[in-house]
Amino acid sequence: MIKNSQQLNAFAKEIQTKKEKYKGKTIAICNGSSCRALGADKITQLIRDEIKKHNLDVDVVNVLTTGCHGFCERGPLMIIQPEEIFYQKIKPEDVPEIITETIIDDRIIDKLIYNDPKTKKKIVYKPDISFYKKQMRLLFESNEHINPKKIDDYIGIGGYSALAKALTMEPEAIIEEILKAGLRGRGGGGFLTGWKWKFCRNEKNDTKYVICNAAGAFIARSISEGNPHSVIEGMIIGAYAIGAYKGYIYVRHGYPLAIENFNLAIESAKEFGILGQNILESGFDFEIVISRGCGEFIAGESSALIASIEGKAAIPRPKHIHATEKGLWNRPTLLNNIETWANIPFIINRGADCYASVGSEKSKGTKIFSLVGKVNSTGLIEVPMGITLREVIFDIGGGMINGKKFKAVQIGGPSGGLVPESLLDLHLDFDSLKEAGTIMGSSEMIVFDEDNCMVDTAKFFIKYLMDESCGKCTPCREGLVQMHDILCQITDGKGREEHLDMLQELAWGIANTSLCQLGKSAPNPVLSTLKYFKDEYETHIRDKKCPAGVCKALIEYIIDSEKCIGCTLCAKRCPVNAISGEKKNPHEIDPMICIKCGICYEVCPVNAVERK
Amino acid sequence: MGKLIIDGLKVDADPNKTVLDVARDLGIEIPTLCHHKSLHPFGSCRICVVEKIWKGESTLQTACTYPAWEGEIRTNSEMVLRARKFILKLMLASAPESEEICKLAEKYQVFETPYKHNPKKWNNKCIMCGLCVRVCDEIMNISAIGFAKRGSERYIATPLDEYSETCSTCGACEFVCPTNAINVSDWTDREIKPHPSIFERGLISRPAVSVHFPQAVPNIPFIDKDVCMHFLNDSCGICEDVCVPEAIDFKQKDKIEEFDVGALVIATGFDLYPLMEIPEYGGGKIPDVIDALQFERLLAASGPTAGVVKRPSDGKIPESVAFIHCVRSRDPEHGVAYCSKICCTYLVKEAMLYKQAMPNGSAYSFYIDIRTGGKGYEEFYQRTKEDWVTFIRGKPARIVQNGDKVQVWSADTLSGESIKLDVDLVVLAPAIIPSAGSVKILKDLRLATDEYGWIKEQHLKLRPLESMIAGIFMAGMVQYPKDITDSVAQASGAAAKVLELFSQPELKRTPTIASVDTEICVGCGYCEETCPYEAIKVDERKKVAEVNAALCEGCGACAASCPSGAAQHKNFFKDQIFAMVVEATKDY
Repeated sequence: MIKNSQQLNAFAKEIQTKKEKYKGKTIAICNGSSCRALGADKITQLIRDEIKKHNLDVDVVNVLTTGCHGFCERGPLMIIQPEEIFYQKIKPEDVPEIITETIIDDRIIDKLIYNDPKTKKKIVYKPDISFYKKQMRLLFESNEHINPKKIDDYIGIGGYSALAKALTMEPEAIIEEILKAGLRGRGGGGFLTGWKWKFCRNEKNDTKYVICNAAGAFIARSISEGNPHSVIEGMIIGAYAIGAYKGYIYVRHGYPLAIENFNLAIESAKEFGILGQNILESGFDFEIVISRGCGEFIAGESSALIASIEGKAAIPRPKHIHATEKGLWNRPTLLNNIETWANIPFIINRGADCYASVGSEKSKGTKIFSLVGKVNSTGLIEVPMGITLREVIFDIGGGMINGKKFKAVQIGGPSGGLVPESLLDLHLDFDSLKEAGTIMGSSEMIVFDEDNCMVDTAKFFIKYLMDESCGKCTPCREGLVQMHDILCQITDGKGREEHLDMLQELAWGIANTSLCQLGKSAPNPVLSTLKYFKDEYETHIRDKKCPAGVCKALIEYIIDSEKCIGCTLCAKRCPVNAISGEKKNPHEIDPMICIKCGICYEVCPVNAVERK
Repeated sequence: MGKLIIDGLKVDADPNKTVLDVARDLGIEIPTLCHHKSLHPFGSCRICVVEKIWKGESTLQTACTYPAWEGEIRTNSEMVLRARKFILKLMLASAPESEEICKLAEKYQVFETPYKHNPKKWNNKCIMCGLCVRVCDEIMNISAIGFAKRGSERYIATPLDEYSETCSTCGACEFVCPTNAINVSDWTDREIKPHPSIFERGLISRPAVSVHFPQAVPNIPFIDKDVCMHFLNDSCGICEDVCVPEAIDFKQKDKIEEFDVGALVIATGFDLYPLMEIPEYGGGKIPDVIDALQFERLLAASGPTAGVVKRPSDGKIPESVAFIHCVRSRDPEHGVAYCSKICCTYLVKEAMLYKQAMPNGSAYSFYIDIRTGGKGYEEFYQRTKEDWVTFIRGKPARIVQNGDKVQVWSADTLSGESIKLDVDLVVLAPAIIPSAGSVKILKDLRLATDEYGWIKEQHLKLRPLESMIAGIFMAGMVQYPKDITDSVAQASGAAAKVLELFSQPELKRTPTIASVDTEICVGCGYCEETCPYEAIKVDERKKVAEVNAALCEGCGACAASCPSGAAQHKNFFKDQIFAMVVEATKDY
């Protein structure tokens, strides 16, 4: 039980000195969901067994199960400290070698180190990896140094010192600090967090609530799994600033590890006297409850989220009256995204000026993105606001897979717009993204290359949004169905000239008349592709061709009889027996039978199969 | 206070009101579908969008949810019309069978939709406005229905799609639905008991609050507490919200008013022999077998079908109608022995009216014999015989449902053939019987009735207007079946009788009333218990019975019951009666 800030400081110091005195190695193995899915928990167990087998003392080696390191594509991964040796794609059979070679004999295992796909160079140490080099990991860095299940680890890296500092400040001063830092809501809207806090503080009501929206995707999961205490610390500071006594963390039921870690964090914080009655002798009481949602896309919308906590279906309501005035159970409610909350301790500890020095003019701090798609290095990245797309995709992401040509990147989740190559120098901040016709949204980035058809891609996202629409309001419910239908017609080769105008009208209507932000932003994939890739639509409609060769109805496979050597490979692999021909003679594809799966195209050793 | 400019009109901004409220106060029309005055704003249909201009930026907001903040609102701008047309086109595609949506779309010059109908949609009229779900939850506190699934698959359902146990069959969901998309029977398998309109003979149902019938006096709606949800589970109260003059008062109680009067005229009418008790004619279970009064309502211009004869089962205009006379009249074994007197004439009239409305239709009349007595009635009957109505002499033995037709089994007693006739509609003329109300009031007034329940008159021929109690008169069918002419004549006579009574300074009674010999009477009170007119009472102080001469009708019940012989009938003393008996039985 920690009674006051002096005790907290002393405790932190104690852990720090213990750490400094430690001369052995630490194996920080990522136990985030992605690495776990690839077998990280099994590897952790094997490492522990192996250490036992070799009778290695705690002074020599120590295992740290951490949260997500970000480079999920290369999982399961581990960092051996203090050297920061980076091992990736570890298999269970590699474990004995790691212990004998690296831990005991201090040798690097060649097959486990990272091979840069761009430069083809082998990189041993984590800081040298280009994926990490350009990042600025204010929030994520600590993931590698703490076990999320242990509050000691968090306190050891200076955790809860921001809380101790905040509790000595006036609530108004805290809000001023947040305002000065220029922190904007990480949920996607980009509203100034400080203003939200101020509105909520100014509401005269005995009961106020704070809510952490941890219902998001990749990013929310990694923060909740990897560093739940930073969120809790932020929430306590926020609650103190606005005068709330109860907080909710809204997590997806589908993230069991996040729920487990949050539960442990809340329990241990209570034991330490950081949550509950009279926190650190300040006289301030605060409790946090975990509310589990079923993981619908719409539940991330604030009013739907509040409805879900209230026990109703997650369906949005008109938000003319803000949640800061009438939110959860009609009380003033401060709802922030999990990433916003995680930023708070940093701002309080290091000061608003330090925070505001990072980022662009109007968007401050760092932002976590999930970078996926056709780039070499995928995973979670934390970059300063204002970094260019080019840096993210070609430096951090390591460029396009197989050297293909970049076509577009979608930013902000399913309802984000697709940004073309001409905008690669776009700065990643709230306002520039809006200008480019996309959104910060859930900060997901999906990179597409020349093999992706933009009409098909737009169709994919519209289908997702159509299925995830709650169905309350007419334009979103009915309009997205119609939009999807038209896109299907275009990709099926039944596109007509007027479809382009119909798509424009649907996009206008849905964006302008929908009730919530899901509907309002849903047409973005169509609008942006219509804007930047109109020629692709026109080719689909006029020439009945798909330039990327994706839309099955618009392509055909033909064997070039001059190139074909009659190896029969294609005929053997064809799942519907559409290919005929004598051995060593040119083969033919029967277009009536062909299902255009493309296997022949891929297997042909002489590239005799052409896609038209 | 800031100002709200709405279509150029400047009003005070009031965040407690919505733009819709303000616009409607100003007489500006904004279409709504998912809005209801008694429900919380929902904002799902989006048809009420208006353009809000704030700091030079235009956005579309739903008038039903948007607070009347300061700024400018345009309810009819190009942007608004474009959005409404867009919404209507989507609705036309998703609810193509809704007449209401088609009408609204036409109003906005939208005559067709470029969008496709989703064949998997659960209901081709529903626009998912959610009024039904919300009224069931917010107003009725029942929540028997809710939304299921999401997105385009969203539909209205009971939990687990099973018939609801909690649905109260109140019908509010059906009532609020703007597109007539749903039925209470979708939610529950319980028998849905409509509240039939008594005046329309159950041909249509009525809401829990209604006016008895057009031209009712007083012409004021009443709330039926037995079916009103507010009185059943303390919910609803929508009528209170929508009544502009705030005339609804749930605290009102039924009042019984007492008046002292000098005379009574009883004119409490009649009933028809109930169809339920006529099993051979379907027992009321064949929808297209109706009684003549129901048919009368179908013919009436103010009736449920506005004067167009439509049969109850499917609303089809019948091409053939059978009229059956003497149903339980003149039938002492199953019904009543008497002739109901007026049926022949009115059935002939109804057949004639039907033929005039449907010249190509066929009217058949099954009769025992036609008794159209009365001024001009026989001539009327003769005229219908010419080529309007086919008269078949014979009393049908059975009436059965035959597909969508009704089959009448009968014999033609003139030709001796048996007949099975398929018709679209059968109109019965059931026997006229005393109304349930008459029976009760006559019993309460201790008025004598005959074996059928008709009121007894003082003398059938000489005093047909007076009941057995002085000062109580009768008019119309309470006495015996009679037509309007006779009823009006009798009513005029009864009124004259009342005037005659009131014109006298003193009441004159016949002298043959009871008297009590106070020397013998011990005040036992037997006479008081027996007296049907409350004319004899025991004086508790004197311990003797006393007769109220004004009330005594001279029935002699007290004299017969008196154990001591103190109560006697004047002019009919025991000795006198015995003398009369002796004289009457003497042999001459």
